[in-house]
Amino acid sequence: MYVRALPTTDVNRNTEWFTYPGVWTTYILILFFSWLLVLSIFNCSPGMAWTTVHLVHFAVTYHLFHWKKGTPFGDDQGIYNRLTWWEQIDNGKQLTRNRKFLTLVPVVLYLIASHTTDYQNPMLFLNTLAVFIMVVAKFPHMHKVRIFGINADQ
Amino acid sequence: MITIPYLTAVSTYFSYGLLFAFGQLRDYSRLIFDWWTTSDLHGYAPICLAHEDFYIRRLYHRIQDCFGRPISSAPDAWVDVVERFSNDNNKTLKRTTKSTRCLNLGSYNYLGFGSYDEFCTPLVIESLKKFSPSTCSSRVDAGTTSVHAELEECVANYVGKPAAIVTGMGYATNSAIIPVLIGKGGLIISDSLNHTSIVNGARGSGATIRVFQHNTPAHLERVLKEQIAEGQPRTHRPWKKIMVVVEGIYSMEGEICQLPEIVSICKKYKAYVYLDEAHSIGAIGKTGRGVCELLGVDTADVDIMMGTFTKSFGACGGYIAGSKDLIQYLKYHCPAHLYATSISTPSAQQIISAIQVILGEDGSNRGAQKLARIRENSNFFRAELQKMGFEVLGDNDSPVMPIMLYNPAKIPAFSRECLRENVAVVVVGFPATPLLLARARICISASHSREDLLKALKVISKAGDLTGIKYFPAAPKKQEEEKGTIKLD
Repeated sequence: MYVRALPTTDVNRNTEWFTYPGVWTTYILILFFSWLLVLSIFNCSPGMAWTTVHLVHFAVTYHLFHWKKGTPFGDDQGIYNRLTWWEQIDNGKQLTRNRKFLTLVPVVLYLIASHTTDYQNPMLFLNTLAVFIMVVAKFPHMHKVRIFGINADQ
Repeated sequence: MITIPYLTAVSTYFSYGLLFAFGQLRDYSRLIFDWWTTSDLHGYAPICLAHEDFYIRRLYHRIQDCFGRPISSAPDAWVDVVERFSNDNNKTLKRTTKSTRCLNLGSYNYLGFGSYDEFCTPLVIESLKKFSPSTCSSRVDAGTTSVHAELEECVANYVGKPAAIVTGMGYATNSAIIPVLIGKGGLIISDSLNHTSIVNGARGSGATIRVFQHNTPAHLERVLKEQIAEGQPRTHRPWKKIMVVVEGIYSMEGEICQLPEIVSICKKYKAYVYLDEAHSIGAIGKTGRGVCELLGVDTADVDIMMGTFTKSFGACGGYIAGSKDLIQYLKYHCPAHLYATSISTPSAQQIISAIQVILGEDGSNRGAQKLARIRENSNFFRAELQKMGFEVLGDNDSPVMPIMLYNPAKIPAFSRECLRENVAVVVVGFPATPLLLARARICISASHSREDLLKALKVISKAGDLTGIKYFPAAPKKQEEEKGTIKLD
């Protein structure tokens, strides 16, 4: 089964890989396989495994998308050094398909995690907090906003 | 258009994710490890931020033996590749005194001028004895010899423009001349896959840069319309100058630019056309005059034609050809002309002699033979590779053919397997290409004989089977079917 890979107009090499086919599927498959991994290592209930996946996903994606700034390449000459990865994708354009997909994934994970733990308390609180922070960080209004100067530039 | 199997795309992302995760793990453990050791550079700022060279340290260094291989002979059809070994897992590589004779599929030696040539080399040696290796001065001070003047005339005639200016380095030609031609208040529209020298020149000029989808004239027209309607950012005043930058052959794709459509769009919207013919001059077209000759575009329609002498002419340096006024202006303003040392005189002689051979002015028809041979070789090689089931990019007649690898592990596997069989190929991965589209780039030369190409095909087929890069079904062998029907009759 073949797909066409059209060349993009994104010059930022840190984010242009996200515009090629296959990324969304890989993302979802990684989440599914990590759920299986957690289940097999910790031998816990499916709900606890989904909660673990959701919280680890929150920690990892918050750090990578909304905390780390700049690009892993020196020859970009630092033009993206003040922007986080979320602010760099799609050249800063808001509400594109990629952004909508990335906003939806934590919400769906939250729904699965809450449903499989039957909305019981310590997990529900942590999950809700995580999804709240994730979704608010992805709002168009939060573009380039640094609350209380947290993570502002050096 | 690159067609990639869906499973390969997904597995490539997985592999890169794994490499990234392991790289981050190693970085964290290095951080913890270094906490205990003190360094004597207390108080100094770090040279680069930790995550800026993450890619180089954690991905590139692991397969460093596939890149930057030193050679110890002229880059002819066969070349001596120096053997290297590493004691610390490819972090540092040490050269040995041994070298292996390998088939050279990596040099940009399109017309075979990369080694001893019976017409050019004696003239170059003579010029080396008469003038010296370096002019030791910039063009405006004392660095212009009669050879330089002859070279500029010769290049202008060959390319089909009234005048030309020559600089000592091809990369510097782009990065030093684009800032002179356009500045703040101007607009540069460049193809998304343009070379880094053009990107650097454009960024250094201070003009606004917009990118259009690779080789898609319809998208170029849309971008032009939008930008002309909007004007400069924030003030919305009209642009002072609009320049569209395209390349003749794109070195990573082997694709030829759709020049006639792009030139007609630029004429309609009154934008200047800058054509970078680094890989196409001397290699395509009936007399080797590049993409304008191949596609039938009048050279008077292309405003600025730039090229380099490193690919087809076996020398160094670059040129810009244009109208007399343009070249006069550049001679007064271009820093590569005013301050940089002029092109070495024996190299200039090599270029003049090479152009004479190509045009047949040396009294033989070797030039026409070389051009016919490179076209034949490229078309034969590409057709055979496609029959075997490889995914090969590039148009017909283009001597550059990338073979798609995709997975990051196949990059070193293919390269090392080919080297084991004495074939030297160049593999390219991220960031020179998009993340998903790593490839092995083959450059065919007119000095490759048919036996060389057949040996290369055998080795590449074997390496391709071992690494699993035959993504398309192989074409059925028609000859055996025909033989079958004849036997029955």
